[in-house]
Amino acid sequence: MDELSFTGIIFGISQVLLLVSLSPLIVGIMRKTKAKSQKRIGSPIIQPYFDIIKLLRKDEVISEQSSWIFRCTPWINFVTAVSVAFFIPVSLIYSPFGVVGDILLVVGLFGLGKFFTILAGLDVASSFGGLGSSREIMFSALVEPALFITIFVIAIFYGGTNISTIVSSANEISFLAAPGVLFALIAFFIILMAETGKLPFDNQSTHLELTMIHEATILEYSGKSLALIEWSQAIKQIILLTLFVNIFIPWGIADSFSWSQIGFGVLLVIVKIISLGILIAFIEIRIAKWRLFRVVDLIAISIASSMIGVIFFFI
Amino acid sequence: MEHYLSKLEQLKFKFTKHVKNNNEIHIELDDTSQLIEFCNILKLEMNLRLLTIIYCDERKINHEFSIRYLLGSDIDDIFLFVISHMNKKHAYFPSLSDVFPSSIKYEREINDMFGIQTQEDTILKPLILHDFQKNVFPLRKDFDAKTELNYSHRKFEFTPITGDGICEIPVGPIHAGIIEPGHFRFSVIGETIVNMETRLGYTHKGIEKIAESMSIDDVVFLSERISGDESIANSMAFCQAIEKIGQLTIPQKAEQIRLLFAELERIYNHFGTLSGIITDIGFPYGASRLNILKEQIMQLNEKLSGSRILFGVNQIGGVKINMTDETLIYIHSVLDNAFQTFEKILDLLKSNSSVMDRLRNTGMIEKQVARDLGLVGISSRCIGIESDTRHTHPYGYYPSIRLKQKTPRETMEHQVELQKRIGDVLSRFMSRVDDLRQSKEIIDSITTLKNDGLSVSLEGELAPYSSGLGYAESHRGETLHWIMIGEHNSIFRYKIRTASFSNWPIIEHAVLNNIVADFSVINKSFDFSYSGNDL
Repeated sequence: MDELSFTGIIFGISQVLLLVSLSPLIVGIMRKTKAKSQKRIGSPIIQPYFDIIKLLRKDEVISEQSSWIFRCTPWINFVTAVSVAFFIPVSLIYSPFGVVGDILLVVGLFGLGKFFTILAGLDVASSFGGLGSSREIMFSALVEPALFITIFVIAIFYGGTNISTIVSSANEISFLAAPGVLFALIAFFIILMAETGKLPFDNQSTHLELTMIHEATILEYSGKSLALIEWSQAIKQIILLTLFVNIFIPWGIADSFSWSQIGFGVLLVIVKIISLGILIAFIEIRIAKWRLFRVVDLIAISIASSMIGVIFFFI
Repeated sequence: MEHYLSKLEQLKFKFTKHVKNNNEIHIELDDTSQLIEFCNILKLEMNLRLLTIIYCDERKINHEFSIRYLLGSDIDDIFLFVISHMNKKHAYFPSLSDVFPSSIKYEREINDMFGIQTQEDTILKPLILHDFQKNVFPLRKDFDAKTELNYSHRKFEFTPITGDGICEIPVGPIHAGIIEPGHFRFSVIGETIVNMETRLGYTHKGIEKIAESMSIDDVVFLSERISGDESIANSMAFCQAIEKIGQLTIPQKAEQIRLLFAELERIYNHFGTLSGIITDIGFPYGASRLNILKEQIMQLNEKLSGSRILFGVNQIGGVKINMTDETLIYIHSVLDNAFQTFEKILDLLKSNSSVMDRLRNTGMIEKQVARDLGLVGISSRCIGIESDTRHTHPYGYYPSIRLKQKTPRETMEHQVELQKRIGDVLSRFMSRVDDLRQSKEIIDSITTLKNDGLSVSLEGELAPYSSGLGYAESHRGETLHWIMIGEHNSIFRYKIRTASFSNWPIIEHAVLNNIVADFSVINKSFDFSYSGNDL
């Protein structure tokens, strides 16, 4: 699995393209689920694609007061999201580029994208941008430790922080045998909701600037930049979903490089991701956005849960 | 009434008084310098509150401006007009702000519209006409409504709040979503609001001035457009004022139809507001269900009147829309269905802890502040002040409504429920629910329509310079329309006081010590009209 064969590279690249191209579909499916629950017809599930195409065709309005940070943030977001897609195993237990695919790198790259988004929110000096940035940084500062502890739990159970190693070990053992992983699953799920801006953390569909978190930081973006940001947000979401699926419920993933296994693996992973997306949408339906400062409690639950995971490893 | 008259007799002030329409006492003090003292005594002795201040340019008739302080009670059906005249000797009018803090807003309005200051020679902030040229006072009679004005940008001075870590956040006047314009200036420490100032007036249309150039039949349409969602309440108040001046008794059937539409208006708006509150806390699942109910009632409105927001129902002397007993049965069946669903949604919301947590203890107001600012409607009922025009000043068909008598147990339970009203968003939510149920009961109590025609017409001309007061309870609260008739059935002065106008200042108190992210839901829980405030 260390050698980079030509087919391996082609496979790796096509895997990235699959994630990048499927990501808006997941957004569409989740929106449709929510719309159905509200007795609305809702926009078609391929609407996010139309939105991206529409925005790509549009001109941009950029504040004269903004600096290069504002202009390059969409690209940084997009590039970091797509490069993460290279390291994570999708339908095969390892990624052809997995040598450098450390899970801490994934966290770091996402962190970089978020860091620039926050800066861009401050850069344009609109009051809502600053508000959104301060909230986003507060949550990031709280979510990050939770995420790291969760990663350590997974790492001590599966012997390493390389994603390919984690996934292949996970595929071999059933997580039910290790209750610690179950607690890591709870913690990771909460983090997944926080990082993708789902209820009760953030209400993506709101139009009220004063209540926004992530949306407030990107409020000044329009046209192509907005398309890039929305798209990278969708890619980030599908990557986190894929990670979740492949770390905690990896069964059915291809464990060797054969077309029939990979074909089955691709289908299965798509089904898993979509079901997980629908599950998240259902959770969002049942719950109202929490008070801003009570959301911290949820992150505390996440930290506590992963700490229990650590304890389980030693007993 | 007699009780009040005898109390007035005991006062040591010298004044002339006369009684009109069974519930209005008009008082004119002999010595105007005693006005503030007099009002203070009225407030203390009779527990009256300031309803509005009506200023009128009567230089054409008697060479002076007149000012009427309208006081009212929350318990008894009584209106007290304290009239004072201002001639050239008195270029200022006395400020009542020491007695009634709510009067400041009216004084600012008068300063905008007539260019007349209070006696203390204080400089009042503009309230509505922020961008008008200086020395233009639109409600004076020598100002022609067709004058083209130059837009002049005057800087609005917000109270500066300074200190370590205090940031200012300007919000509006253009907001996301389809709502009206208004500017809010927040001063925050982190997320906590330490001060908020509103600057309204963006939707000023000059309704009071336009009315002076229209015939009274057309003003009915104008009054419907004061605030689109209060069309029945406003046009009803206007029609009642005219009918009072013209001594017109309208048919019972017309009164019934007016009442039905007024209650339907209340129902659809309360559904809409409840839905809005739930949307703003980020629970679209519940909000969409309430919105469906609002839509059902609006479709019912359209079927009955041809207008989803009930335009064109009222006319002077009656109504334009006919109803039969079959339509009544239809209304009852639609409402029965809607309210069955509504109770289910309510159970769902009450059992959802994340929803209740957001509503509870958010945007609390204090009872004393509510009294000082003279709040009406839901905003006052949420803190346990029972002010409802339908009870205190029964109008139209309301006196004939006989609601089902409550058992002592139910009364007790209701009292316990009222103790829980602490002035937060949840209290306003529940007050609206109460209001909805009551509206349903009122509509249910009408089972047959009378059979005496839809309208009567005004005979001859109304007496020039006679005035009348019309009032109605909109879903936001007490709505007052005061009209003085001019020559040939024209309008000489049309003073509108919507519930929004007297309630808006409370929002600056309600948001204090809350977080910025909760402003939307606090604002929505009050649900004030911008248009009804700016006129």
